[in-house]
Amino acid sequence: MSVIAPNFKLSGFIKSIIDDAVWFLLIFSLIGFPVVMMVLFVIPMPVIDGELLTPFLAFTYLADPTRTLPIVQAFMTTDMFKIMAFPGFGFAALLAAGTIFVERKMLAKLQLRVGPFYCGKVEGILQLAGDGLKLISKEIIIPAKADKPIFWAAPVLFVASAAAFVALIPVAPGWVVADVDMGLLAVFAVIGFFPIVTILSAWSANSKFPFIGGIRALFQMVSFEIPLILSLLGVVMVTGTLNLSEIAASQSSFPWIVFLPVGAIVFFITMLAELERIPFDLPEAESEIVAGWLTELSGMMYGLVQLGTYLKLYAFAALFVVLFLGGWNGPMIVPPFPMELATEGIELGPVTAKIGGLEPLLTEVITQEMLNGTLMFVLKTVGVIFFILLPRGVFPRIRVDMLLNLGWTKLIGLAFVNIFIALALVYAGVLGPGGLQ
Amino acid sequence: MTNTATGIIRALNSGIKHIATKRFTLRYPEEKLKFVGDGYQFDPSTGVGIAGLKGRHMLFHDHCTGCQLCSIACEGVAEAIAMVKVPEEQKQNKKSIMPQIDYGKCVFCGLCVDACPFYALYMTNDYELSSFSKEGLIYTPAQLAVKPYVEQDSEIIITKYGATHG
Amino acid sequence: MTAELPPGLAIQKVDERIMTLNVGPQHPGSGHMRIIVQIDGDYIVACDPDPGYVHRGEEKMAEYRNYITNIPHLERPVIHDSCNALYPYVLGVEELLGIEVPERAKYVRVICSELNRCIYIMYWLAIYGIFLGHSTMFMWPAGDRELLIDLMEKISGARVTHAHFVPGGVRNDLPPNFEEVCLRQVNYFEKRIREYAAVFYDNPILISRTQDTGVLSREDAIRLGTTGSVLRASGVSYDLRQKEPYDVYEELDVHSPVMKEGDSYARSKIPWLDMLESCNIIKQALQKMPKSGSVRVKLKPNPKGKGLDSVYKRVESGRGSLGCHIVSDGKVEPYRLKLSVGSFRNLIALPYLLKGEKLGNMPSVYWSLNYWPVEADR
Repeated sequence: MSVIAPNFKLSGFIKSIIDDAVWFLLIFSLIGFPVVMMVLFVIPMPVIDGELLTPFLAFTYLADPTRTLPIVQAFMTTDMFKIMAFPGFGFAALLAAGTIFVERKMLAKLQLRVGPFYCGKVEGILQLAGDGLKLISKEIIIPAKADKPIFWAAPVLFVASAAAFVALIPVAPGWVVADVDMGLLAVFAVIGFFPIVTILSAWSANSKFPFIGGIRALFQMVSFEIPLILSLLGVVMVTGTLNLSEIAASQSSFPWIVFLPVGAIVFFITMLAELERIPFDLPEAESEIVAGWLTELSGMMYGLVQLGTYLKLYAFAALFVVLFLGGWNGPMIVPPFPMELATEGIELGPVTAKIGGLEPLLTEVITQEMLNGTLMFVLKTVGVIFFILLPRGVFPRIRVDMLLNLGWTKLIGLAFVNIFIALALVYAGVLGPGGLQ
Repeated sequence: MTNTATGIIRALNSGIKHIATKRFTLRYPEEKLKFVGDGYQFDPSTGVGIAGLKGRHMLFHDHCTGCQLCSIACEGVAEAIAMVKVPEEQKQNKKSIMPQIDYGKCVFCGLCVDACPFYALYMTNDYELSSFSKEGLIYTPAQLAVKPYVEQDSEIIITKYGATHG
Repeated sequence: MTAELPPGLAIQKVDERIMTLNVGPQHPGSGHMRIIVQIDGDYIVACDPDPGYVHRGEEKMAEYRNYITNIPHLERPVIHDSCNALYPYVLGVEELLGIEVPERAKYVRVICSELNRCIYIMYWLAIYGIFLGHSTMFMWPAGDRELLIDLMEKISGARVTHAHFVPGGVRNDLPPNFEEVCLRQVNYFEKRIREYAAVFYDNPILISRTQDTGVLSREDAIRLGTTGSVLRASGVSYDLRQKEPYDVYEELDVHSPVMKEGDSYARSKIPWLDMLESCNIIKQALQKMPKSGSVRVKLKPNPKGKGLDSVYKRVESGRGSLGCHIVSDGKVEPYRLKLSVGSFRNLIALPYLLKGEKLGNMPSVYWSLNYWPVEADR
């Protein structure tokens, strides 16, 4: 038995880390600083020590932590940060990338093979970056008779729809990009975009296999949207609101899956169909219609569609968590930050180092509730994503007629059963005003 | 309906169980399979071969008589064997010709080994013959005389938790 | 211009509702062939299989090579079933030349043949799995096939193209300690393929997808001249290992599986049952095999047939009956060699089965016919 990496040397490992660090610093100083500069021009600057910051002053304050942290805090409360980074796109893209990696490794494990292994030294964690680099560097080939503007726009629209979906998901109390009162209706509206984008892409490619795939996707998504919407009505009835944050907050003592398991099952199955995942991956059935509506997409256009697909996967899993598993609610497992370090400073022998601006940051933005809520939310989402990924390993694809039969008869029936259960619970007084909650 | 439900649960259960089963992949450049014996050989006195991997050939210069039987045997198969003149400083036979094998054409059927009546041509365990040029695949008699060193360290191990290469 | 054009070239009247799909030759669901499918919505109106993309003229090539040098290239049509592909040729040449094969060689041949049948079916099953969108069923057989390829490598020294059978026996004896290794790996292999039932053959989604699709009745199966697993899935118990036992199959207990339904599910399950039966036969053969003895008769360098003579031999290969007709005119080369392959005979059923089916059933029906394009083209 030979070892996997016989030439492993600690010095080489350290050298590679230092190399990486140097590259990171180089790229950061060449690209990162200008970006930071531009961002500072856009965001509203806080007033520190009675003096309004300008972007130029902000850079001079970078050396002084007492003035850096307020800038960070001001930045974290802007809408732009919410959209780009934490509850919005960046966070979702990070989770989506994790999902792709976990999917590949888990599926490989299930199928008794290794999966991505060599890229990135440790179990192939950099494989996804490599794949992305490959997709970016590939030539984009457009069919000669395609409707070019629409064909170009479709992948971008797909990612945009997925990102709009992500924006509606509350991650922690108060941490949501768009806190809409009619949040669930907005979700339904955004879901309605996907079949349109799909059929646009498929039809504009002007090719037979994408066309059949697009028609199948249209069939599938439209017919599964109805049980999807119906299965969520039960939750709306027992909570009496359409706001996703309020729905999540209403499950502080128990998640709705306890009372509405039928709705949860129906929602899960329709979710698989909406996501075009096995066993419902008919629009991409490769042995019948090559790659379905993705056949003519190449290079980063395909990469964008994949990104959109996994963002959508994360968004649906998150929606399941928010509606049925209680969102951010859960036991408090994140320990409280020792606040005396922020208020009184850290004693290092004779010196007391006090970091100014840490206290408002910890009490107003990065609170214990927010960290714990995010952790709970991520844990639950990962669990749901695992169950979304698992069927890919054990089920074959089903057929169009079976799919439509399932959607239009069985799932709609079960969704109505769920609505009646919810109604009975509300009228019997178990839930709602005067009940348990 | 109950059949469907139990079937789906059985399938999921089987899938989850296999996540804990050992991986079967042979990680080739790090692990190399063990073979039986030193390669395929042939005993002309009994007319029966000896089991072994059919890899690169090995030519014994002191046995080869330059009879061309291996080349004739290869004619209908791959035409990979050509009889070439041996340089003067090397060991000679009567006709001073010896086989030269083009591995770009050889199909590793081993019929040339069966054809050799003088115990001169055997096959070895060496299977890593890749080269950057087509000329590099042509092995001269001098190259064929070298006994290859082949690493072999892994074989299929069957345990309670599945089979692995180890 | 009244001359009849061949069907592919004739200008057809275009129906607005009908869409013509070229499934293949560059299509993940076709193999080395093309299926011209005409669909009306989701229903297949007509289907025209178009093989011939990998025709290599094996039969003509055989007329220019002597009886021994024919061996390596006659196994090329089905490299993953190479022992069975060579079997009828070797049996035929033995009859032509009048060679008596040693007892031990016959048993070694049976073991190799059954191992190769399993290797072939695993490959077939892997592709069947990916055709149905079941990626695990692609990876598991492709991995477990390695157990048997390893055994064949130990026996013959090559992983796929063995060139192991020769007129007069086999090329070399089994390696030392082979029985024990073979038994261990075959037992594990059997355990593994039984595990496929839970995720594949008993999977309700697979059953509902393949049951009652592409039904081939018993009469049609006989009338169309299908063979092998397709025939046995339609309820005809016809296995050459039982009906015309060659070599030592009459001394072994062969229970060839038969199913009555004749649909895609039965056609896909029969090969799996075949593998279990093959494991059984290998174990029997290992037990009954003479422990020592010669495995090869010494032949003259260039064997010749005895004057004008012809022989037809057939064996049960992974794809059904595989026949080889050799005509000899007393020279070192055969005068004519004709292969009658199971793949081509099963493909004939495809247009009949696909008519009126849904497009989603096309891959499962097509591949359940146990068809290997390269063998059909020869």
